[in-house]
Amino acid sequence: MSEDDGAATTDESATTEGVSTTDEPATTERRALREAETGRWDGVRGAALALVGVGVVTRRPGLVLLGAVGVGYALYAGVGEAPAATLDVTRTVSDVTPEPGDEVTVAVRARNAGDAPLADLRLVDGVPPGLAVVDGPARVATALRPGASVAFEYVVRASRGEHEWEALTAVTRTPSGSRERTTEIDPAEPARVVCTPELAAGGDLPLRGLTTRYHGRMPTDVGGAGVEFHATREYRRGDPLKRVDWNRRARTGELATVELRKERAATVVLLIDARESAYAAAEPEGRTAVEAGVGAAGQAFRALLDGGDRVGIAALGPVDCWLAPGAGTAHAAEGRETLATDPAVAPTPSGDRFYRSRWLRRFRRRLPADAQVLFFTPLVDDSAASLARRIDAHGHLVTVLSPDVTASGTTGERLAAFERRERLRELRSAGIRAVEWDGESFPVAVARATARWSP
Amino acid sequence: MVAVSSEAPPADGDEARGEGPVGDASTDPVDRPERDARPPALAVVLSLVAAGVASLAALLAAPLGGVLLGGATVALAAGSLRRSHRLLSWAAGIGVVGLAVAGYRGGGVEALLVGGVALALAWDVADHGLSVGEQVGRGARTRRNVAVHAGATLLAGALSVGVVYGVYRAAAGSRPVAALALLLFGAVVLASALR
Repeated sequence: MSEDDGAATTDESATTEGVSTTDEPATTERRALREAETGRWDGVRGAALALVGVGVVTRRPGLVLLGAVGVGYALYAGVGEAPAATLDVTRTVSDVTPEPGDEVTVAVRARNAGDAPLADLRLVDGVPPGLAVVDGPARVATALRPGASVAFEYVVRASRGEHEWEALTAVTRTPSGSRERTTEIDPAEPARVVCTPELAAGGDLPLRGLTTRYHGRMPTDVGGAGVEFHATREYRRGDPLKRVDWNRRARTGELATVELRKERAATVVLLIDARESAYAAAEPEGRTAVEAGVGAAGQAFRALLDGGDRVGIAALGPVDCWLAPGAGTAHAAEGRETLATDPAVAPTPSGDRFYRSRWLRRFRRRLPADAQVLFFTPLVDDSAASLARRIDAHGHLVTVLSPDVTASGTTGERLAAFERRERLRELRSAGIRAVEWDGESFPVAVARATARWSP
Repeated sequence: MVAVSSEAPPADGDEARGEGPVGDASTDPVDRPERDARPPALAVVLSLVAAGVASLAALLAAPLGGVLLGGATVALAAGSLRRSHRLLSWAAGIGVVGLAVAGYRGGGVEALLVGGVALALAWDVADHGLSVGEQVGRGARTRRNVAVHAGATLLAGALSVGVVYGVYRAAAGSRPVAALALLLFGAVVLASALR
């Protein structure tokens, strides 16, 4: 970094500048924002003049001198500009591909590359919103001579998704603190952590009777080849001998053929509610319904793929996410990637606006005609329930899988829990299967709920 | 010195669920568990020590002024505890009144000047500690920052006292107070021109 570049960023106006030199590969991009008055020393002149006035009127030289010292402080507050933070920043992450829950150590090093000392420098690192800092604040306050550097470390806990660090915020002040300037600094190499959880296969997931023409494991109501008894019918020429009901032949002398249930594969789309309202949790730092839904969808994805069904993934939310139903190893890897890192199901909401009718039109256009939908939603608003009914009414049989994120502390929380139960009840009475789980694992809840269902 | 700082702390990046920037610490009930927004201990201790020195100096000048500065010390401690810039400004205001009373009661010039610088340092370090606490927090490394800031303020005060007291001794030792004030007026005009 040359001296000229360092000087250029101390310009009064906001400057955006990528400083690149051939001898040094690291380029740190800095955006110096406008300087602002902090107004800390605002009253000092008034106090000084008042002291001088009182001193003159009462003929006390001590007060006049005291006022003069006050004027000295006013001068001290008046001189100088808040310098732009001319820092070279490097950020090192100890593990780029951690497992969920791993602790990742982040080391930040900032060197004052300018030729002015930074008397008051506060650094706040741009930790990705989805990562929680578990050890040490990602911040430091210091003072740096030209060429001096400061290093600090902190630990974040990895969570599912792809997390990219944002710009480091540097706040510089004049020595008196009367003016301050914020500078956003992007290190040369953006730090990034990709955390892709292994998908554990959940238990057997019961699907509804909507199947494709492909052979699979879903028993249908159509007779043919299979393993489970379906019906008997009159013998027709050409029926295979092993399907003739010989007991009946021995008893009555008639020839009859046994029909077995045909087994077919289903096409399933896992629909995850990722609207802003679904980022709800029972307690402030708890697991959100989106996290629970994505975890359960991962288990369902593996289980269904292993069972030979075709599985796709979609998200109900402002960010578009669609993985067309498919099968095979490559599809499994793609699904894992989507569930882990797709921005639509990121650990924090995107903040964009969600247009329900537009989303539904697009979803219906993409959905194969024979697809059924597993809808992972916390059911915290009426919109999700009515959407489930609408998709079901369009012939795509819907199973609602609802993580319970309601609490029972205050009256309002109890009301929300009651409303959610009512929505579940209405869905069930409308003929839509619903599973809810809370605390216990998803496969256990599914096994418990399945016992009640008719095949 | 009656001023309420209006700085906006930078947005919190390490928030698990984005709540936006943390506002004034005293009005922000939801603080993140891993960040302690209290002012750094060093700042609080330095501020109280300086306030103690100011009280002692004022007590030597005139007992009533010492009492008022004792009140200012308590207010400074309360301001650091409650994280309120307004309370700190009030403390500084009480301190200035205390010094004025001590001066009116005929306190010594030297004691008044020491008290003035110590009061400025006490208020400045406490207020600086609040802003560092809001933006960085007590858990982070802040010693160097606070020490440099306190040192700079002390140096500025010492320089002012040196110049003022030197001029007083050399030129205005026996002259009327009005001459001193006129001298000061010239200094203020000069300062305004510089600004």
